[in-house]
Order: sequence, then C-alpha cells, then structure tokens
Amino acid sequence: MLDLKHTDRTRREFEGLALEHLDPLYSAALRLTKNERDAEDLVQDTFLRAFRFFDKFERGTNMKAWLFKILTNTFINRYRRRVKERTVVEGAAREQSSEKFIVRETAETAINPEQYFFDKLLSDDVLRSIDALPIDFRLVVILADLQEFSYKEIAEILDCPVGTVMSRLYRGRKLLQKNLMSYAVEQGVLAAPRAVELGADAEAEADVLEFKRRARG
Amino acid sequence: MLDCREIESFLPAYVDGEFDAYERAEVESHLADCAGCQHAVRMQAALKDAVKRAALAIAPIELRHSVQLALRDEELPGSRWDAVLHNPRAVGLAAAAVGAAVWFLAGGMSHPLFTRHSGLVDDTVAMHMRGLPLDYAATDVGSVQQWLQGHLDFAARVPRFRQGPALQGVRLSQLHSRPAAVLSYSIPQADGRRVSLFIVDDPDNADPPGTARRVADRQVWLSRSRGYNVVSWRNEEIVYQLISDLDEGDVLQLVQAVELR
Repeated sequence: MLDLKHTDRTRREFEGLALEHLDPLYSAALRLTKNERDAEDLVQDTFLRAFRFFDKFERGTNMKAWLFKILTNTFINRYRRRVKERTVVEGAAREQSSEKFIVRETAETAINPEQYFFDKLLSDDVLRSIDALPIDFRLVVILADLQEFSYKEIAEILDCPVGTVMSRLYRGRKLLQKNLMSYAVEQGVLAAPRAVELGADAEAEADVLEFKRRARG
Repeated sequence: MLDCREIESFLPAYVDGEFDAYERAEVESHLADCAGCQHAVRMQAALKDAVKRAALAIAPIELRHSVQLALRDEELPGSRWDAVLHNPRAVGLAAAAVGAAVWFLAGGMSHPLFTRHSGLVDDTVAMHMRGLPLDYAATDVGSVQQWLQGHLDFAARVPRFRQGPALQGVRLSQLHSRPAAVLSYSIPQADGRRVSLFIVDDPDNADPPGTARRVADRQVWLSRSRGYNVVSWRNEEIVYQLISDLDEGDVLQLVQAVELR
C-alpha cells in the first residue's frame, strides 16, 4: 500500500533538503544526549518525524531551523528523561561566586590571554564544560555558538521570547567560562606560564603596557 | 553612556552580531576607553570559537545510511531487505562479518569470535567515530612529532607508514585518565577513509585487549567494536592502537606498513 504523499520524488526532495544538515544535527545531538548511541537515535528520530511532517514544511523557509526545532522538541519530550540532567536552579545558584576574580587573574597572565588560554585548553575540556551546563543553557549555547543561529531563529526553535534567549545565553556563557577556568586552574594552564617563564612574560607585559600608553597618547 | 555593568550584560548580543549600527556604536564608544571590557569581549569571542571548534562532529557514515534506510521504510513498508541489498555499505558490513567468521574458522584463535570487548577499545572506537577536530594539522611526521614533544609528557613516537595512510594531524586526548595522542590519517587509495592511531602511555605493561597475532615480527592484538577493527601493539611502555573500518586483512596490512623509528 503506497502512501501517495510520500512518493519517491518527495523522499528525494526531502533527502536533498534535509540530509545536508546531518552533521550539525548530530553535533548538537551529541552535546544534548552526551553519548553517541542516544545521539544517533535522536538524529534518526528527528529525520523520521521531519519526513512525516514534511508536508507541513513551507518550501523556501529555513530547513535547518525547522529540523532543529524538531530535534529539540524530540529531545525534550523523549530523551530528556533518559539522560539525567541537573536542574536549571541548581546550575544558576552555582554560577555566582568567583567569576570576577578569575577573569582578572587571566588578564594579568599573558599577552593575548583570551586566545592563549583557549589554545592551551583541550577540546575535551571544552566539551566537558558544555556537557556540564544545565539543559536550558546548553540548548542556547549549542544553537548560538555551535550552529550560529540568530537569536530570532533560536527563539522560534525553542518557542520562547528573544529576551529569554539573550538571558539564557548570557548566563550559559558565563557558566561555561567559569567551568573552563576551573579546569584550566586544575591543570595548571592558568598558573604555569607565570611561574615558569616569569622573565619572558614580564618583558612581554612591559611591552604591552608601553604599547597601551602610547596608544592612549 | 553605558557603564561596564551594562556592557557586560550586552556582551553576547554584541559578540553575536545581533546589534544594529547604533547599538554597536554605543558599545564601541565605551570599549575604546575600557581595557577590561575589551578583554571581556575578546574572551567571549574566543569562548564562542572554542565551543564551535570542540563540538563540531561528523556523523558516522552508518548513521547517514541508517537514516536513508529508515526513510525508505517509511514510504514502502516491507521493502527493507530490498533496501539492504541495494545499499553497498550494508552489504559491505555483512561481508566483513562473514570475513571475520571465515577467518575465525580458518585460523588459530584462542578467544571466542568477536573477542571480549574491553572498555579501552570501545572508548577509542567511540573517539574515532566522533572524528573530532585536530589540535594540530600537518602532513609530515617530523612536525607532528615536534609538536607532540611540547604537548605530551611521554615520548610518543609518530610512526611512518611505508604506504597507505596519509597523515592529517594530531589531537590530544585522554584515555582512562591517561594522556593520549590521536593521530589522524586518511587513505587516498580507499576514498579517503579515516584511520586513527592512538598513542597512550601505559606503564602497567598489561597485554592490550584482543586476540594475539603476529604481524611482521610484531606482536599485535586484534579486536572489534561497532564494526571497526582495532589493532593494538606495545612498544615498551607505549601502547599503539590503530582503528579503521577496513576489514581485518587490510587493517593488518596497514600495521605491516608501520615503521617505528
């Protein structure tokens, strides 16, 4: 028995439009479920649901955002229970404390502290930090940073106001930065250059100060 | 005039390019005189970039195929076997399984078929499948070797392949909380298929997991996980683990082509 809506042509059209987003969807699914098996299941479910609702998709609109909306809904409805999550409240409470102190600490450490810092960190630490985010924050960070959706697109994907996207992203990135800082301290990435190469660093620091002084006139 | 507090709350929107020209100008007039906020902006941008670099993954080829198969199921119930038969990858996997069975029947193997899975093999295979981005990209052994010397606290020697895999670069990782290097290769003769070579420091001197074999005077251990073949060997305290979706014969041939200086 053939469903006429899903002729071979429809399937080819769907594959043509949707499959190019497989890698982005899988990348996001990995960070949502935190393991390959669930990520693959989630992506597969997403494609199947999208295909079933393909007649609802308005041709010419944003396929990627539409797929991500299905992915996040599927995840929230089905997988979230399976993958244990820390609550948003808990995460937000932990966010408060040592932020400013640590930021100042890096600022004094190297010439280009920002780039230097992230170059030193391993990708695995970055992944660990993302995975440690409460789900609401993790979602917006994944959508904004990994997929580079606009705030308006994210608001549509998550069915929430743009203001909510902004505040979650603000808090999510803050938490992320804090997590990374603590890994960096743990591994000695932050402290090491100052202790080991004090001479060279002091010199570089002086150059930078001199440069800034001149720049200011 | 905006103050530092306000700037901080606007950071994401500013860095993400969500502001219009007027808002941007307002932020930038503050930034011009404020080193602290400049730092915060660069930090935010570097963070965003780091997230992207770390989290971009490539979907396993099996997933692509299983999605396509599932879509075919959707439209024509009952056509599944047809689809399998017309999917070269699925056939390839089936053939690999058959190959493994034949090899088992033919040759002195001491463990059951599909050897005991160890956590280590599963983990390295999972990492191989994720295909994470490289920390250092280079195609010559010398510069990868040099880079590693500055980033690992053990002497990982980057092997040379006499033929086959072409080096793409290296990524640092951790295996069971030990530092590890993951060399990434592609094989031009096999449609650029990926091969990963894990190098991990293992002072315990335990035998790597899998079935013992000898390849070109080298003792190796062969195991399988999720359709990937894994060959492990040891060079004193360093364990090497080569992973690929090539079949056993081809993988062992790759190991034969390895030159450890």
